[in-house]
Amino acid sequence: MFKLILKSSLSSLSIRKGRTALVIVMIAISLWGLMVMQGVYEGMVEQMISNAIRSDSGELSIFKSRFREEKSIELYIHTEKAIEEYLERVENIRSYSKKISIMGVVSSARYSRNIYIHGVNLQQESEHSQLQNYLIDGDFSFGQRERGAILGYNLAKKLKIEVGKKVVVSTQDSYGDITSIKLKVMGILKTNNMTFDDSGIFMSLEKAKKFLSLNGVTQFSINLEDFSRVDELKKDVKSKFQNLELYDWRELYPALIQSREMMVIFNYISYLIVFIIASIGVFGVMLVSIMERLREFAILRAIGTKFSYIFYMIFFESLLMGLSGFIVGSVLGGGTLYYFSIYGLDLTQFSDALSEFGMDAITFATIKVEYFITAFISVFSATLLSLVGPLRFLRKRTPIEVING
Amino acid sequence: MDSFLRVQSVSKIFNRGEAGESFGLKDINLQINKGEFIVISGPSGSGKTTLLNLIGGLDSISSGKIIFNGIDISSLNETELSDLRRDKIGFVFQAYNLISLFSARENIEYVMKLRGFSQNECDMRVDEVARKLGIVKLLDKLPANLSGGEQQRVAVARAVASKPELILADEPTANLDSRSALELMDMMERLNREEGITVIFSSHDPMVIDKAKRSIILKDGHSLIDSF
Repeated sequence: MFKLILKSSLSSLSIRKGRTALVIVMIAISLWGLMVMQGVYEGMVEQMISNAIRSDSGELSIFKSRFREEKSIELYIHTEKAIEEYLERVENIRSYSKKISIMGVVSSARYSRNIYIHGVNLQQESEHSQLQNYLIDGDFSFGQRERGAILGYNLAKKLKIEVGKKVVVSTQDSYGDITSIKLKVMGILKTNNMTFDDSGIFMSLEKAKKFLSLNGVTQFSINLEDFSRVDELKKDVKSKFQNLELYDWRELYPALIQSREMMVIFNYISYLIVFIIASIGVFGVMLVSIMERLREFAILRAIGTKFSYIFYMIFFESLLMGLSGFIVGSVLGGGTLYYFSIYGLDLTQFSDALSEFGMDAITFATIKVEYFITAFISVFSATLLSLVGPLRFLRKRTPIEVING
Repeated sequence: MDSFLRVQSVSKIFNRGEAGESFGLKDINLQINKGEFIVISGPSGSGKTTLLNLIGGLDSISSGKIIFNGIDISSLNETELSDLRRDKIGFVFQAYNLISLFSARENIEYVMKLRGFSQNECDMRVDEVARKLGIVKLLDKLPANLSGGEQQRVAVARAVASKPELILADEPTANLDSRSALELMDMMERLNREEGITVIFSSHDPMVIDKAKRSIILKDGHSLIDSF
């Protein structure tokens, strides 16, 4: 009997080729668009998070207590060596870097700007944050005598300065005295992290220590092997070292978490839209299809077919259309996302606007199994829902009412 | 002894409680025994089709009772009626009503499959019925590729294949030429004789009516003349 039911569904699909193709194309295109939108958007958000983590905080940052609020150079970490030794021992640490970050002023021949001075070890940064990947001009180096600086992209633009030119960086040292240093611009970075691009100057950590008369650092930035164990590490550090504050990236960048949450909402809305489109499409087509075959179903009922068999016939028919649409849509969507995950989606013409939000001009899409599962659930639910109306219509009429027209 | 089929004071009112309310059947009484070959005749609109539909459980009774094999079919729900039609009744419609997506063979074996016959049983029975009705060569064809007479023979084959106790045929010869009509009636009469199936058919064609062993004449849905 099942064979006959399936045959009835397949025959109906093949006889009504135009209708079948229309529904499959409609579902496939909706899913295609949805998956690409979802993968690209998620890719953007993940890149934004990754940029923030890589260029600044790592997954976990250690500061001296109150440093985050007061930004005072006096609130530096005195126990630099001890913390470093501790971090070297902890298994869950993938990489770390130590840095000094304080406010100051930079002057070129014509302009001055408020800045953040970041004293970093480039060797450590290239392993920890791969900062070198953000370099868009010049060298990833502070020069032979470490008297060089690497500037944020927008800051260089505002100062109207190029690689090879000199700038003067001024700030207050740990004694409270004004101090200045002349640095040669060695390179320009574009991290898409606004803090760095608009007002960041990177200089040698050792140079910064001398320049600021500082016997320590202001921040440890740490990446973990297993982020789910971050709280365990925080607790351990706090128990071993006094007067430290530890923040993971979620606490440092709540806006990024909100972006991720927004993305989830956005995805739900997108699925709802596709669900509605697919439902309306399948509903319309199935209604017409059932109406066309109403007499046939009535005959089947008249000669003793249970209503449940009629339901299976119609259900298989729409399920086959839905599944075909899902498969075609998944292949198209998955293929497109795979391409964008390898080669990226080039949005260079919107790069300025995107960088305002911390996004890269080239977005690498993400592909997740969830996309396909959610798409399948959406199509399956839409298919089921679309059958309710036509089946109710069919059930309300007696076979003879329908046969006699 | 209980009769095979009893129609007791059956009435059918169309559009009940509405402006166009009308009687399709009024206070019909009828008793039919197993193995009979009966024609229900009468002019158009006399209620022949309505009576057959009520007996077959395809339409609901407004008042009265139809007792089929001791079961009051007016008390059955839709699922029970489906089961009754599947297991006990074969239908032959005026417009053949074959399933366009199925071949003649699939149409014939459809009810058998509903009843749970194995493929082997279906094949044997389809071949047997097809031989009796002269449609062996038509079995692999789709209804669209058959003539009216051929389609009606397939429809009769479908009705008898699962060995029902009753065949209800609503004007089965109406769309056939005289020769095909007589051939079909001969076949149905033979099936009635050989397989012991009770056959009730409707017609207003005198040539076809003559083939029946018992004739019931309806007029205006309520006059009834029963002659053997």
